[in-house]
Amino acid sequence: MIDTTITKEEIVAILPKVAEIIAAALPCDLERVKPETSLINDLDAQSVDFLDVVFRLERAFKVKIPRGKIVKEARGDLSESEFDQGGVVSDAGLARLKTFLSEVPPERFASPLKVADIPRLFTTETFCKMVIRQQRAATAPGAAAPS
Amino acid sequence: MVNHFRAFSFVDRITSVQAGVRIGGDYAIPPVLESFPGSLVAEAVGQLAAWVAMAAHNFERRPIAGLAGSIELLAPVQPGQVLALAAELESADEDAVAYGGTARVDGVPVIRLQDCVGPMVPVDEFDNPQALRDRFAFLCGSGASPGGFGGLPVLAAERNGGEIGRRATAVFQVPASAAFFADHFPRRPVFPGSLIMHVNLQLASALAQELSPPGPTARWVLREVLDMKLRAFIAPGESLNLEVRVSDCLAGSATLAMETRNAREIVATARLLFMPEERP
Repeated sequence: MIDTTITKEEIVAILPKVAEIIAAALPCDLERVKPETSLINDLDAQSVDFLDVVFRLERAFKVKIPRGKIVKEARGDLSESEFDQGGVVSDAGLARLKTFLSEVPPERFASPLKVADIPRLFTTETFCKMVIRQQRAATAPGAAAPS
Repeated sequence: MVNHFRAFSFVDRITSVQAGVRIGGDYAIPPVLESFPGSLVAEAVGQLAAWVAMAAHNFERRPIAGLAGSIELLAPVQPGQVLALAAELESADEDAVAYGGTARVDGVPVIRLQDCVGPMVPVDEFDNPQALRDRFAFLCGSGASPGGFGGLPVLAAERNGGEIGRRATAVFQVPASAAFFADHFPRRPVFPGSLIMHVNLQLASALAQELSPPGPTARWVLREVLDMKLRAFIAPGESLNLEVRVSDCLAGSATLAMETRNAREIVATARLLFMPEERP
C-alpha cells in the first residue's frame, strides 16, 4: 500500500509545471491557474480537456495516470455499493471523498453529489496529487519497470 | 442503409492487426474524385486506429476525434493513389485511446499523426455494435471494394470580417443533410471533426496567402496542425463561427491560431504551422 499522505512541499515542487500544463491545455492565462482553481467551474474545462491535461502530465512527468480509475482510487477500500447508490455518492462515500480530495474546500461538495459530478471538484492541486501518487507507485518496491 | 460503411469510410482492407496494439490497412482513393484533402487522409489513419481500439473493447466502446498533438502534412495525395495506413496504440482503456499513425503512398509518408487521443464512448449510442463486428471481420478478410466514397459536398465558410493578413472570421453552415451523416454515425449523425478542420484549413490558407510572401518565388504552405482539440459534437444544421489569426510570422515559418465556436461554446481549436515552398 502506498502512503497516501502527500506533503505541501511535494505539491509546491511540481505545482508550477502542472499549472503551466493546465494553462497550455485549456488554454488560459497562467495567472488564472491557482492551486485551488476548479478546472470545470473556474476554467470551463470539458471532459476532453481533462484527457488533454492527463496526457500532457503523463508525458511531462513520465508517469501513467489511470484515467478511469481516479474515482475508483478515491473510493479506497469502500465497495462500489458502499460508495454510491444509483450514481449518487453515499454519506460514507462523501466522507471518504472529502479525505481523498482534502484540497477541495468542504463547501464545494454538493449534497447530494452525483458520481458524474466528482470531476467538477478537481483542482490544480488534485492533479498535482495524481502525479505524486503515480510517481510514488512507479518507484514503490515491486513496481514494474517502465517500458 | 446504403451509405453505411461507404459515404465516410476510408479503410478498404485491414492487412495486419495486433489486438489493442497496432494495425495496418489500405485505402484506394477513388480515381473519379477531383481531389482528396489532407484532412481526409488524417481521417483515414484515425479510422484505422478506431478499428483496433474498438476490437480491443469487443465493439462496445469506440473512440471519437478529440486531440491531436501533431498532424504533419508531408505531401499532397491524388485521386487514384492507394494509401498504406498504419496506426500504433499507446494505450486503449475504457476512457480513451492514445495513438499515432502514418499514411504512405508508394512507400513515401504523406501524413504523420502523433500524440492523438480519442475519448471512448459507448458504441450503441452511435452505431450497431454487431454491424461493426461484422464489418471488421469483412475488412480483415476479403476487404471492401474501393470507390464507396463519392466525394464531399461543397463545404466552404463565408468570410465576414477580420483584417487583411492578420485575422479572418467566417461563418460556416453545417449541412442539415449529407450522405456522410449516414456513415458518421448511423444512430447519431455528427459533423466529422476532420471536416471542421477541412473548412478551417481553407480559411487559414487564404489568410496565409495575405502575408508577405516568404520569398520572391515562394508561397506559404500548411505543413503541420498542432494541438488540435475538438471539444463538442457538432450536429447537422449547426451554424459555426470561425476565427483564424496570425500568431507569429518569421522568415522561415508562420503560425496561425484557429478557434471555432457554435452558439454555446468553443468547439475546436488548433495551431497551424505554415512553411515556405517554392511556387511550381
